[in-house]
Amino acid sequence: MSRLRHYINLVYELSWLDFKLKYYGSVLGLFWSFLKPFMMLAILYVVFFYFLEVGIPDYQVYLLLGIVFWNFFADATKDSTTSITAKTGLLQKTNLSPIIVVVSAIMHSFWTFIINLAIFFVFFFAFGHHLSWSILMLPVFVMLTMLLTVGVSFLIVPLYMRFRDLGHIWDIFLQMLFWATPIVYQYTSVPEEYVRWYLLNPVARLIVDARNATIYNFFPAAEQILITTAIVLVTLAVGWAVFKRYGQEFVEQL
Amino acid sequence: MGKNSSNNSDAMIQALHLTKLYKIPHEKRATLFETVLGHLRNQMSYEDFYALRDVSFEIKRGEMVGLIGKNGSGKTTLLKILAGIVPSTSGTFAVNGKVAPLLSLSVGFHHELTAEENLYLYGAILGMPRKTIRTSLTHVFRFAGVERFKDMKLKNFSSGMVARLAFAMMVQTDPDILLLDEIFAVGDKDFIPQCLEVIEDYRRRGKTILIASHNLETVSKYCSRTMLLEGGEIKIFDETKKVVEAYEKNGKR
Repeated sequence: MSRLRHYINLVYELSWLDFKLKYYGSVLGLFWSFLKPFMMLAILYVVFFYFLEVGIPDYQVYLLLGIVFWNFFADATKDSTTSITAKTGLLQKTNLSPIIVVVSAIMHSFWTFIINLAIFFVFFFAFGHHLSWSILMLPVFVMLTMLLTVGVSFLIVPLYMRFRDLGHIWDIFLQMLFWATPIVYQYTSVPEEYVRWYLLNPVARLIVDARNATIYNFFPAAEQILITTAIVLVTLAVGWAVFKRYGQEFVEQL
Repeated sequence: MGKNSSNNSDAMIQALHLTKLYKIPHEKRATLFETVLGHLRNQMSYEDFYALRDVSFEIKRGEMVGLIGKNGSGKTTLLKILAGIVPSTSGTFAVNGKVAPLLSLSVGFHHELTAEENLYLYGAILGMPRKTIRTSLTHVFRFAGVERFKDMKLKNFSSGMVARLAFAMMVQTDPDILLLDEIFAVGDKDFIPQCLEVIEDYRRRGKTILIASHNLETVSKYCSRTMLLEGGEIKIFDETKKVVEAYEKNGKR
């Protein structure tokens, strides 16, 4: 069996294992993880649509798609930080690569992401929306989000292994990033002189483009997609280099 | 490091000047906050600890070699380096063939999952495709003698039963080199001879085994040569009888 197939097999087994473990012993099982985005949706919708009266068209689906993408990025990066310590036994006694452990933790969130997307579309059609050809771009943005998450995780996991309070720091950072991403509002509300900087946030770019393709039925501009791809690939490359350099030390620091 | 070489087919494990240095901080700083404070007070100091120091040896095909020494003498570190779990600080080694990347029979299992689910994970780590695992499961359960419990959660298994499963699964991957670390710490009176029988059968088929143990009786009985480690260095690497004698004499003094 080739090395790559071995790795793919391992990622599959480990992520499936995490998935099963998460829902063992909970009566409603998987239901909870799909309830979470809808609870967020209900709260944010009431506050922003009724209290603050933001006038975004199709606000229910606008909000839900943003939440689904955001939850994947936030949950997966958070899970990845603790993934190494959670697999201490395996890492110390077998030659399991830390890279596989981190990618598996992300894959586990990715399964939830895909199922949440499926539920989004049920919701989407129930509200009488229609798809156009631009939906073909959605898988591209899903994959880019996945790659971005892997890159960011590769960067923060070594930091977490070295400094255990990074867990708290990352939580705070995610809260800031949540509001620095157009999930509940539109990026056009950002003051014009800051938009340039604002759009360096790859999560913001991905969510904006995913909405354009899914809800507003138009193809995002090619040069914008290229810029997004470039940001994602740079993050991934830097993350990979950092992880390669420090990954081996993890097992010794456990 | 750790490359497979197909030439010189007689030497299965070749280690040259393997050294492992651990830097142990005087004060353990696990948080960013503590590190910043430590740097401000200019107190980041480390103690060098050589877990292995300039270890060179060669093990040939079909040999079963014992690895003895006190706790902290470097046995586990050596096995970990050979299994590719941790890198060496300096020095090189070459292994000729497939190494079972598994040192212990008691960890790595997940207790909330059933025996069968655990074996799928375990097999994946050992590098088996899912199909192969499926076909070998019956055999594994029979060898381990726990067929009746395959759908039971592992937390209800005894540690001996877990060790049986792990060993049975490892044997299924048919490795060329077995690295075993204290596998006789768990397991009952029936299981240990059963394991040793399989290991011995392995050796006869031309496989290579490196086994770390505190059980001098087992080492004397099965290992042709034995390596005595002391403070990370090879004290003696010779016929088992001589090494065990030297070790026992040393212990009495």
